[in-house]
Amino acid sequence: MALQNEDKLEVGYSSLQPKPKKWVLLMLRLLAFFATAAATVVMGLNKETKTLVVATVGTTPIKATLTAKFQHTPAFVFFVIANGLASMHNLVMIMGDLFGQKLDYKGLRLAMIAILDMMTVALISGGASAAAFMAELGKNGNSHARWNSICDKYKTFCDHGGGALIASFAGLILMLIISVMSIIKLLIKPKPDSTTVVP
Amino acid sequence: MVKPKRLLRLLLRIIVLGSTLAAVIIMATSHEKGTFFALSYEAKYSDTPAFKFFVIANAIVTVYGFLVLFIPSESQLWGLVLALDLVFTMLLISSISAALAVAQVGKKGNSSAGWLPVCGQVTKYCNQVTRALVAGFIAIITYIILLLYSIYTFLNPLLGKNG
Repeated sequence: MALQNEDKLEVGYSSLQPKPKKWVLLMLRLLAFFATAAATVVMGLNKETKTLVVATVGTTPIKATLTAKFQHTPAFVFFVIANGLASMHNLVMIMGDLFGQKLDYKGLRLAMIAILDMMTVALISGGASAAAFMAELGKNGNSHARWNSICDKYKTFCDHGGGALIASFAGLILMLIISVMSIIKLLIKPKPDSTTVVP
Repeated sequence: MVKPKRLLRLLLRIIVLGSTLAAVIIMATSHEKGTFFALSYEAKYSDTPAFKFFVIANAIVTVYGFLVLFIPSESQLWGLVLALDLVFTMLLISSISAALAVAQVGKKGNSSAGWLPVCGQVTKYCNQVTRALVAGFIAIITYIILLLYSIYTFLNPLLGKNG
C-alpha cells in the first residue's frame, strides 16, 4: 500500500517537474535573444555626423564633415559580432526547443547545449567588457596618453553606445543564468532505469 | 598511487596558477619614465582602468588557484570548484578582452578620435604589457582546457550508459 502511494507520488512529481522549468528556460532564452539582438542593432546602427566650419575663405565657410562610426573601433566591431552570434545562438536554441525535441546525437544533446551556452557566455562577456572599457576611454579620455574624450563632441554616439552596452550586460546576466540551468539539466538528468537522482 | 586523471588536473591547475601569477607580476611592474621634447612623462599600468581590471582579475584567480590546490581529493567541494571555475573563466576572458582593446588603441591609435599611438614613445612599457597579455592568454586557454576536462570527468560516471 505504502509502496503504491510512493510510486504514484513519484510519477506525479516527475510529470510536474519538467513543465515549469521548460517554460522558464524558454522565456529566459527569448529575453536573452531580445537583449543581445537589441545590443547588436543599436550598436550596429550607431553613427553620428557633425559638420564643423573649419575656415572662412572670403564669405564662404569651408565645412568639414566628421563622422563617428562604430567601425572605427575594433572593440565595437567585436562587440557587434559577439552579440550577433549570441542572438543567433539563442534563436537556434529556441527553435530547437520548440520544434526539434526529437533531434539527438548519440544522447549528447544536453551536453552540446550546455557547452554551446558556456561558449556564448564567454563570447558575450569578452565583447561587452572590451566595449565597456573602450566606452570608458571615450568618455573620460586618458590624460597620460594625451587622448581627449570624445563624448562631449559626439553625444548621441556615446548615448547609443551606452544603451547597447546596458542591453548587452543584461543579455550576459540572462545567458549566465541560462547556462547554469543547462548545466543543472545535464547533471540531474535521471537515468531511465533508476529512481535515484544523482547530484 | 596518484591517478593519471588527478595528475593531469593538478598539472593544468599549476600551469594556470603560474600564468596568472606571471601576468599579475609582469603587468604590475611595468612602468617607464622618460622625456619627450622636454616633456617628462611616466607610463604605469595604473593609468588605464582596463589594465587595473586585468591585474585585479588575475590576482583574484591566482589566490583562488592557490587555495584550490589544498582541497583534498574526494571532498564534496569539487562541485563548487567547478562552478567557480566557470565564473572565473568568464572573469579572465573579460579582463583580457578589455586589456587587449585598450592596448590595441595604444599601439595603433585611433585616427577618427584623434588619438595618437603611444607605443613609439614608451617602447619598454608596451613590450612589457604585451608580455603580460600573452601570459594572461596562456592562462585562459589552459583554464578552458581544465574546465572542459573537469566537466568531462565529472559527468563521465553520471552519463554511464547514456554517454
